[in-house]
Amino acid sequence: MAEIVGLPKLSPTMEEGTLARWAKKEGDEIAMDDLIAEVETDKATMEWRAFDKGVLLKILVAEGTTLAPDTPVAIIGQKGEDIAALLEKLGAGAAKASPPAKASPPAEASPPAEASPPAEASPPAEASPPAEEPVPASPAAQAVTRDAPAEASVSKPTRTADGRVMASPLVRRMAREHDFDLSDVAGSGPHGRIIKRDLDAALAAPKPTATTSARAGRQPPVEQPLSQMRKTIARRLTESKQSVPHFYLTIDVDAEALHQARIRVNAELEAAGEKVSVNDFLLKAVALALRKVPTANASFAGDRILLHQNVDLSVAVAVPDGLLTPVVRDADRKSVLEIGKEVRELAGRAKNKKLKPEEMTGGTFSVSNLGMFGIEEFSAVINPPEGAILAVGAVREVPVVKGGAIVVGRAMKMTLSCDHRVIDGAVGATFLAALKKLLESPILMLV
Amino acid sequence: MREVTYRDALREAMAEEMRRDSTVFVMGEEVGYYQGAYKVTRGLLEEFGAARVVDTPIAEAGFAGVGVGAAMTGLRPIIEFMTWNFSLVAFDQIVNNAAKMYQMSAGQFRVPIVFRGPNATAKQVGAQHSHAVEPFYTNVPGLHVVYPSTARDAKGLLKTAIRSDDPVVFLEGETLYGLKGELPDEAEDETIPFGKARIAREGKHVTVVTWGRPYWTVMELAKQYAKEGIELEVIDPRTLRPLDHETIVESVKKTNRCVVVHEHWSFGGPGAEIVDRVQREAFDYLDAPVLRASNLDIPMPYAAHLEQKVIVDAARIRETIQKVLYARGENHG
Repeated sequence: MAEIVGLPKLSPTMEEGTLARWAKKEGDEIAMDDLIAEVETDKATMEWRAFDKGVLLKILVAEGTTLAPDTPVAIIGQKGEDIAALLEKLGAGAAKASPPAKASPPAEASPPAEASPPAEASPPAEASPPAEEPVPASPAAQAVTRDAPAEASVSKPTRTADGRVMASPLVRRMAREHDFDLSDVAGSGPHGRIIKRDLDAALAAPKPTATTSARAGRQPPVEQPLSQMRKTIARRLTESKQSVPHFYLTIDVDAEALHQARIRVNAELEAAGEKVSVNDFLLKAVALALRKVPTANASFAGDRILLHQNVDLSVAVAVPDGLLTPVVRDADRKSVLEIGKEVRELAGRAKNKKLKPEEMTGGTFSVSNLGMFGIEEFSAVINPPEGAILAVGAVREVPVVKGGAIVVGRAMKMTLSCDHRVIDGAVGATFLAALKKLLESPILMLV
Repeated sequence: MREVTYRDALREAMAEEMRRDSTVFVMGEEVGYYQGAYKVTRGLLEEFGAARVVDTPIAEAGFAGVGVGAAMTGLRPIIEFMTWNFSLVAFDQIVNNAAKMYQMSAGQFRVPIVFRGPNATAKQVGAQHSHAVEPFYTNVPGLHVVYPSTARDAKGLLKTAIRSDDPVVFLEGETLYGLKGELPDEAEDETIPFGKARIAREGKHVTVVTWGRPYWTVMELAKQYAKEGIELEVIDPRTLRPLDHETIVESVKKTNRCVVVHEHWSFGGPGAEIVDRVQREAFDYLDAPVLRASNLDIPMPYAAHLEQKVIVDAARIRETIQKVLYARGENHG
C-alpha cells in the first residue's frame, strides 16, 4: 500500500531541512538502505536512506525546498499502484498533511515509513569530552562554529534562526494594514524585535522605484535565501559578539626556525609521500601551549568555569557557502604528522559537507588561519562556548638584523581573541608567550 | 471646592449617609469612644449615639458575622476592621456568608454591607500587618472591591458603597489618610459610580494603571517624565471589581504600551487581571509586553532598610516604564 512519506528528522536538533538532492527518480526501485535523498540540515548534509524497500511513486517537493520535519515529501509504495487518492488527500490537507503512520504495513509492500536516520547520522556519540564537557544547550548550537575574520555584519537581526520575523503585535497589525513586508525591516527592540518606531521609519523611508534605480543605472541587490549554515553562522556569531566580552592580544613570532624545521621534516617525509604544513606545526604548538597554560583552555559556563582536561582544537575550514570547524581531538597527544593528516581528512569532508555533527562539536579552543590568503593579521570572533580563538596570519619575509647585517628573516603575527569572563589579559599573554617560545624553538615540542 | 483629608472625606461620607438613612450604622474595634484607631470615625459617636456607633470586642469573625446578619435583616452596616490584616480572621464571614448569601438564598437575602479599613503596607508593622489584601477579595464573585486613591474618590465611592445593596470590600490606603484633596461642597452629595476608572493624567506614550499609595508615586514620576518629553497616561481604576477594563484598553490602544503598578504581591491579583484584559482586548495595539511593578514577592521584612527594598518605589516603577518604552538611560522611544 502506498504511503505518504514525511521529511525525516535527521539530527536531534533539526527543525527544518533543505531537500538538497533526490538520489532516486520517480519510478525507481528502492532497496533497503538505498540513498533516497540528501538533506541539508542545520549541521551538515545528511543522507536519507531507505528503512524498507518499495518504489518511489511520486516526488512531492523540488530540490532546494526547505521544510519542517514530517512535511510530506514523497509517496512510496509498490510498482503501478494508484496514488490518486493519496494525492487528493495531500491536496485537501496540504498544509497539515500528517506524517505517515508507522503502523505495521505489510512487510513486502511497506514503504520506508518515517525513515529513521541512517546509522551514520545517528545522534552524536561523545568523543572523549573533557571531564566536564561544556555541552551547549543544543548540539546544533555548535554546528557551525567559526567566524569569518571580519565581523560578519548581520543585515536582518529581526529574524530568528528559524526564519521567523520578530515584531510586536502592533507592528504586525500596521504591516497588514499597509501591506508591508516586515522581512526587510531591522528591529531595534529586544532580540531584534521590530517595534513601532522601526516600522514608522521604514514606512517613512522613500521606496526605491524601478525608474529611480534605472535612472541611476543601478541594479537592485540579488536576493539570496539563507542556507542553513548561513543562518547558523549569523545566529552564533551575533550571539558571540553580543554576549561574549572579547579582548585581543597580538604577538609577532620569529618564524625562521619553524620554516627550517618544516623543510627538514618534509625532506625526511618525502620518500613516504608525506608532508607537513606550517599550520600543522602551529596546531601542535597551540595544543602544547594550552597544556602549559591550562587556564587558557577553559569555558565560561554561566555560574562556573570549565577547565578542560582535553585539548580539542576546532580548526576553521572555509567551505563553499560558509565555514565549518572540525575538531582535532587530543591534539596535544598527536604528532605533527598525525595532526596534519587528520586536518586534511576532516577539511576534505567538511568541503563535501560530509562531516558528522559530533565531528564539529565539543572543541575547547579554536584556530583560524588566513595566512594562505596573505592576511598579515586579523582578529577572530570567539566560537562559544570556547574561551578563546587564535587568528593566525601569513608567514612573511622581513628584514632582520643579524650579526650587524640586514638579512631576510621570517615573521608571523597571531592574534588571540579571549573571553574576558574566563581568560584575563595576563593569562592570554602567558599563553601567547608559551606558544611563541614553542614556535621559535620547535625542538621544544619534543619535550 | 475645599481641601479635605482622605480621612475626613471618609468620615463625611459615613456621617452624611447616616444622616440620610437611619438604617446605616458603624461597628468595629475602637470606632466609638476612642474615635477610631485612625480617627476615621471621629465625632460619629457624639452625633449618632452608641446604638449606631458600636464598639466591639477584639473579635473580627464575630462582629463581621453580626454585620452580615444585620444586613440580611435590612440594616446597612459599615464594619470597620482596624486594619484589613485583621479581616483574615473574618475571611469566612466575608467570603462564605456576605459574598454568597444572595445566590445561595435564591435572592431572598441581600447583604448591603460595607467592610472598610486601612490596607497595604504602612511602616514597619511586620509581615503579618503589611498585607495588600486586594488579590484575596477581588478573586471572589459576589464582592465589590473598592480602592480609592484620592480624598474625593474616597468620599464619593464610600457613599456609593453604603448605598450598594451588595457587599463591598472598601480598602483605604493606610498611608493616605493624611493626604489632602479637593472635595465638592457637602450639599452636592457627590457619589462616584463603581466600575468607572478615572484618567488621572492624559498622555500618549505609555498607559500606567495604578491605585493606592503607588498612585501618588506614579503621579510624581509623570511630572518628571513630562520634563523629558514623555507623557504618561495614568489611570486609577477606583474599583478593582468591577474593573473598568474598557477605559484601560482604550487608553492602551492609544499609547500602545502599558505598565501596571501595585502594592500587592505580583502573583495573580488585580494587577495580573489587568494585564490579561489588556493582552486579550488590545493585543493588536501592543508595541511592547505589558509589564508590572509591584512589591517584591516575599513576606514584608520588619527591618526598615529591607522594607524599603520590598515596597514598590519610584526607581522600580521608572525602570519598568523604561523597559516598555524600549528606552535605556537617556534615550527613549
